[in-house]
Amino acid sequence: MNDILTLLKPRIWPLTNRRLRRRSRCGSKLKLFFFASIGAIFWCAVFVVSLRILSYFRGIEEVGDILGYKLLSMILIVSFALLIFSSILTSLSKLYLSRDLMLVHAMPVPSYKIFIARWIDSTVESSWMVIIFTLPIFCAYGIVYHSGAFYYANTLMALVPLIVNASAISTLMVVIAVILIPATRLKSIFILLGILFFVVIYLAIRLSRPELLVDPEVFDTVMVYITSLQTPSSPFLPSTWAYDSIRAGLSGTFSDGLFHTALSWSFAATMVFFLVVVADAMYFKGFSKTQTAASRLFKNRLTDGQYFNFLPGPVKSFTVKEIKTFLRDQTQWSQLFLIAALVIIYIYNFKVLPLDKSPIKTVYLQNLLAFMNMGLALFVLTAFSARFAYPAVSLERQAFWLVKSSPLSLRSFLWIKFFIYYVPLLILSEILVITTNLLLQVTPFMMVLSTITVFLLVPGIVAMGIGFGAAYPDFKAENPTQTVTSFGGLIFMIVCAGYIALVIGVEAGPVYHLFMADIRGKSLTYATWAWILVSFVITFTISLLAITLPMRYGENRLSRLLI
Amino acid sequence: MIELTNLTKKYGDFLAVDNLNLTIKKGEVFGFIGPNGAGKTTTIKMIGGILEPTAGTVSIAGIDMQKQPQLAKSKIGFIPDRPYLYEKLTGKEFLKFTADLYGVPENVYAVKAKENLEMFSLADWSDELIESYSHGMKQRLIMSAALLHDPQVIVVDEPMVGLDPVAIVMVKDLLQRLARKGATVFMSTHTLKVAEDTCDRIGVINSGRLIAVGTTADLQREAKVTHADLEHVFLSLTNTAN
Repeated sequence: MNDILTLLKPRIWPLTNRRLRRRSRCGSKLKLFFFASIGAIFWCAVFVVSLRILSYFRGIEEVGDILGYKLLSMILIVSFALLIFSSILTSLSKLYLSRDLMLVHAMPVPSYKIFIARWIDSTVESSWMVIIFTLPIFCAYGIVYHSGAFYYANTLMALVPLIVNASAISTLMVVIAVILIPATRLKSIFILLGILFFVVIYLAIRLSRPELLVDPEVFDTVMVYITSLQTPSSPFLPSTWAYDSIRAGLSGTFSDGLFHTALSWSFAATMVFFLVVVADAMYFKGFSKTQTAASRLFKNRLTDGQYFNFLPGPVKSFTVKEIKTFLRDQTQWSQLFLIAALVIIYIYNFKVLPLDKSPIKTVYLQNLLAFMNMGLALFVLTAFSARFAYPAVSLERQAFWLVKSSPLSLRSFLWIKFFIYYVPLLILSEILVITTNLLLQVTPFMMVLSTITVFLLVPGIVAMGIGFGAAYPDFKAENPTQTVTSFGGLIFMIVCAGYIALVIGVEAGPVYHLFMADIRGKSLTYATWAWILVSFVITFTISLLAITLPMRYGENRLSRLLI
Repeated sequence: MIELTNLTKKYGDFLAVDNLNLTIKKGEVFGFIGPNGAGKTTTIKMIGGILEPTAGTVSIAGIDMQKQPQLAKSKIGFIPDRPYLYEKLTGKEFLKFTADLYGVPENVYAVKAKENLEMFSLADWSDELIESYSHGMKQRLIMSAALLHDPQVIVVDEPMVGLDPVAIVMVKDLLQRLARKGATVFMSTHTLKVAEDTCDRIGVINSGRLIAVGTTADLQREAKVTHADLEHVFLSLTNTAN
């Protein structure tokens, strides 16, 4: 037991050592406050929304409780699925891919103890966020159902084995799978499968048009609906045991609650015992297999660089490197699937808009939506930039010394990065806007306006991604694509949102006048023309500044960075 | 070929390199030795243009690093102590990447890449991803890439770390051969035997200050020891300085 505690200390000590870091990093208190505030706001929002939904459900006669319990069951199933997926990835990293494993395995400690310490670490890391952000929902249930102290205590007691079961099942799968497939490849495969699974579910749910469920015309009888809600979940799922236990707590039946909680605990204990036995036999073998060199999955020669011969040497070298690195990183492929799904859903949403049922005249609504769509498409672009452009500099990782020591200025390096991401993101944004406008059957004026506005704003948003990414790089991040959740990433997203809102705000008035004049066939006054001109000049100027200032800011900060 | 004038680097209040003045001639192999934290890597990074000096100048082949960094860097072949590379490229692709970056013509690249890969025993691995390379292989790949553009100055930080004995002998011979052809080599090392065998002159740095420069014989005189190897000379010099 002492060995396991010792092995866990490198994870615990950094938490207590925070005070040492605070002394050396002056902005850290502000950052901590910033992130804590965002977390608290989100937590409160989940609580308030849950409270309102559950109060509403309880107010519905006959089916109110059924809806409330169905929601609880769904929350537990989704949480369990999230815990499983999160545990697979975390346990793979913690048990097989962490950089310190070589050091730990060189120590005179049996491998099963290393396994247990790592598994505890993995369980905590993979579950804390799911638990913290589902707690407000369970609190809301307790308040709405007027439950006593037993409910809260029992809920906590039911959640702990749910986490342990999810983590144990996932880790068991990982320990066995690593014997068959190398851990590095396995991680990519799991991420790919997980994302594909999510994409399929997401597409299936959206394309089944769930909004029709609230349309009474499509329902033959209320009874069919109620019967479908009452279908029980599988009795073999740990989430079902947690559900039965929490539900019993809500209705105040102690014996039922304790029985289901005890059932969960007994399964968790059995799983942990079984896991340790399997790990004792297989963990070290799997770890040894992970140490062997990875071979290439595909040996393609599609991107040998011959298509980029027209570019100057340094530009070509970075362009080719960037494309190859992107295509060979399997974790990037899954992101592409996700983006494809988001784009399909985005466009599909416009296709199924019930414009004809709206009391507002269709032509106004179509063009109003088209105008709002510009903003929405640009927010989608911001999300893509956050995923691709922002981490572009950090993706150089510790090989950044190559850039610093090469005969290429940092400015050129950043502009190369800019153009690599600008071209595909521009094409994507224009496709989004033009396709949705075609589906909305907007006027030619609105089509031209949307296309030009997006054309003007895309370089600014990409430049912000590259610029802020260069200003706040993290070359040591295990996963640079996650750097957007850092302080710099948040600044990037806030500034981007402000930029889009500002441009849309500046354009709104003139666009309304132009549109109305077009519809009514009237000519504009000189004052309106002047307003339109000023708005266009302002938009153009802001867009120019949005390109140059972040790039310069990033270059200045990056040049001062010590590597 | 390399000229350091009043070169100083401060990290906050900490003085890492203190007013360093040094001139290294064309065709010379210069060794830079010193205890841990003495300022060797900081100096190397400033020579390579990776780190900006707090004061003073670095001149490479008569080109001021601060005023014309790109031109100065194009004369250097930089080899760091830790071989961080683009793991998702193959060895050959990394060489092509470097060649394009330094403007090496296609025909020259083809010949030099083949030569270097064979010289550093990487030919069989050239189509494999760098992520599958060992530490020593990555180090050899960096060396072969750094020599692709025939640099006038070679800056090496701990060249022998991770190399096997055969590669160490090969690299020592290579550096001397390049120097005979007119290249200037500036290398920092902890392996005093390597410095003794390879370098024309050696500089000893301690606490950011250059405390002695010269041939091994010069350093022996400076340390007031006779018939001692470089290890004893180094210990004597650094102990006296402390």
